Amino acid sequence: MKQGSYRALSVTAIVALAVGFTFATTVPPERVQGEFAKIMFVHVPSAWLAFLAFGVTMVGGAIWLVTKTPIWDRVAAASAEVGVFYTALALLTGMIWGYPVWGTFWDWSDARMMSTAIMFFVYVGYLALRRSIPDPETRARRSAILGIVAFIQVPLVYFSVTLFRTLHQGPTVVRPDAPIDPEFLRALMVNLAAFTLVYAAFMTWRTRLARLEDELEETEAIADFELAGSGITAPSVEEAREDV
Amino acid sequence: MSAGGFWHQAREIARKDLLVEGRAGEALYITIPFGAVALMLIPLAIGTDRPLLARVGPGMFLAVSLLFGMLVAFRQTAADTPPQQELLTLLGTDPAAKFVGRTATSTLLLVVFEIVLVPVTILLYNPGRIPGWPWLIPVLVMLASGLALVGTLAGSVTAGLRTRNTLTPLLVAPLSMPLLLASAQVVEALRQEESILLWITLLATMNLAIAVIGVLTARPLEESGR
Repeated sequence: MKQGSYRALSVTAIVALAVGFTFATTVPPERVQGEFAKIMFVHVPSAWLAFLAFGVTMVGGAIWLVTKTPIWDRVAAASAEVGVFYTALALLTGMIWGYPVWGTFWDWSDARMMSTAIMFFVYVGYLALRRSIPDPETRARRSAILGIVAFIQVPLVYFSVTLFRTLHQGPTVVRPDAPIDPEFLRALMVNLAAFTLVYAAFMTWRTRLARLEDELEETEAIADFELAGSGITAPSVEEAREDV
Repeated sequence: MSAGGFWHQAREIARKDLLVEGRAGEALYITIPFGAVALMLIPLAIGTDRPLLARVGPGMFLAVSLLFGMLVAFRQTAADTPPQQELLTLLGTDPAAKFVGRTATSTLLLVVFEIVLVPVTILLYNPGRIPGWPWLIPVLVMLASGLALVGTLAGSVTAGLRTRNTLTPLLVAPLSMPLLLASAQVVEALRQEESILLWITLLATMNLAIAVIGVLTARPLEESGR
């Protein structure tokens, strides 16, 4: 991918975010929650993109285990980083929304909130593991396995609202019995598209940065590597005179 | 140890780990008393309101089992030194058998850990009779095996790293949260005299999923440790 394409994608993502913001601010306030409901235009796409990001981490890791192609490890790592960012954003916006609507930033009886926080820490652990291993192949192998194990959390977070008695509302967009307001849904979908573009832009930049980091590591490793006979130097006339 | 069949190898690994643990006593003589002390500290921290302690007792037992059980699952005696690893490789030990054997040892030690902590919890917290309490026996065994599976897998992932002692709890604690949640929900459901099938299924699914991943990834993990 050329530098121009990275920039074009980033500009498109910024424009899409602006469009999403316009949709979010022009949609009428929700009947019960008023303007507070509009935080969902950030909260819901963030949560969905976090699921997607962790899915990409799992798939990237699994493909690396089969093919051993470095790009898949970079994709998995980049996606985990972006996923952690989106999870943090989902948690933060959820708490901001929770205070005026539920009367508290954090509710222990909310299974979705709890399981999302747990998922956040699982992937923080994934990133910590990556930082702890200097050898690229060992790092890729171990983090690929952890990326697969960690993905167990994702369905648990998704189904937490149906599995547990919880304060969090159940599935809204995909529920046929209580359809969401079309105008609200449209704004949500526009924001979802915008957040997806931001994810793609983050991914391309982060993957590129990871490739450059790998190249730098490789160059440094070659520079540090002693070649056979490197201990033999050209005879120095000055040193020979001093010896005499 | 000869390179026999898979189950023979797993059994031998478990036997070796138990022998090492028996000599070192890391889990039995250090972690288990430490867990009991933790159960004593909690009432001092939250107050001595007896009805409150009776209500939170089973939950405290589960939390202590999880936090201190982690120490049992990735105890130092379960980690192979490089010469031990080389020896097992030269003997042709199947990494998956090693995973199964090590998990079996940890499960056994964790069950012992829970057996010691149950009377301590009853004595200190007096939680009262929970209807259908015999159901807690398979639940505690599944909690122990799930924790052992997660701990063994995380121990393999962090093997040989300088940050192992701090990194492993960070990986194990959130990954084993579903086990804690499901176990706590079983206690709650039994108290309310409701069905526990969903929670038992969740525990069994978690155990099965991690066991499958652990067995399938044992060889790549073994290779990365060399």
